[in-house]
Amino acid sequence: MTAKSADGKEVYNTERHYHTQATNCKTNKMLYGAQVKTQYIRDTALQPFETKAETFEIQLPKGVRAVDVTVSLRYEINKPANFIEIAKVSRKVSLDR
Amino acid sequence: MRLLKLFLVVCFIILPVSAFAEKAKTIEELASMYDSSRCKECHAEIYAQWEKSHHARSLMGVQDGLMMTPLAMKGRTPFSPEDPGKATLDTFPCFKCHLPQALVSADNAFAVDYAKALLAQDKKRVGMLSITCIVCHNTKAIIHRLEEGQPAKNVLYGKRDVASHDDEFFTKVKKSGIFDHAIMCGQCHGLGPNLEFENPVQCATLYGSYEHNYISKGGTQQCQECHMQKVDGFADHLIAPNWNDHEGTKKILQDTIAMDVQTVGYDWLKASKDWKPMVVVNTKITQNAGHRIPDG
Repeated sequence: MTAKSADGKEVYNTERHYHTQATNCKTNKMLYGAQVKTQYIRDTALQPFETKAETFEIQLPKGVRAVDVTVSLRYEINKPANFIEIAKVSRKVSLDR
Repeated sequence: MRLLKLFLVVCFIILPVSAFAEKAKTIEELASMYDSSRCKECHAEIYAQWEKSHHARSLMGVQDGLMMTPLAMKGRTPFSPEDPGKATLDTFPCFKCHLPQALVSADNAFAVDYAKALLAQDKKRVGMLSITCIVCHNTKAIIHRLEEGQPAKNVLYGKRDVASHDDEFFTKVKKSGIFDHAIMCGQCHGLGPNLEFENPVQCATLYGSYEHNYISKGGTQQCQECHMQKVDGFADHLIAPNWNDHEGTKKILQDTIAMDVQTVGYDWLKASKDWKPMVVVNTKITQNAGHRIPDG
């Protein structure tokens, strides 16, 4: 998710990752690869019949009263640069009426 | 003599090698044993669907990588041999699901040939091996083996009995009780860590997710109801998604996962007379699959 001011400057950027996370149980280092993964230590994947709800609070820099917010939901395949964009929502959010 | 040779060649092409007592020693031999290409003579549409499926390239990872290569590389995994010439079937625990026919119809010489093909990145040869029609409709068709016995060599299994099946070798089709149940897929699509090996292996855990986090919440559908929906009256053997089909997979993901975004901008009164310009973005993501997304 990103928020950019009217001049295009990025004022906020964050990510959430939804997936299983495993180690080989010998260290706390997360690993990929069926031949080394032993146990999930965390599971943030999207679950059946459940809703993942997030709240992002963005305190704007001084002088910025409006931002363009973009939320992109992506399915990454093997590596971050290789993804399918499932949904993309863009909104202009202003503090002024 | 020439006639005898011709007869032997014809037999080798026509008969699946499960008919032979000999174990496969090469990629070509195992591929030939489980070759299902003749199925398309009568089941052209289903075969065409299967050809585009991941079952048709079970040793090629998403987007056609040879995902088992580290297993053949010295020191890369706990299973890796000193050199490919010392590979055995135990070198490749992934065969349990990615090539189950190797465990019943191949020997260690096959593992050596396969290890060498991986190191050579020989996609053409490795790509000859797959989860063919015979694997699901025979090798993996019976799970109650103490009660029902091993799959019969001349029988294919499906959702209904067919008294006479027009094939030189598989002359009958018998009903298997599991073909419309999730357990059929669950044999390979994973409960959790596979602890029967000398080192644990954990690949797909979809079936575990289905059992413990879908059924437990009141879900009632079987894998086949979503992944093998009927096309022209027959179950779709693409068994989507096909991850190599970007647009097709995108559509499935969009049909399955929904995101709602709400925004508000205001001046937050943090303390007396101390307003902070604030934007709040609320997101809600839901999905309607029978398992976690993503898995594994």
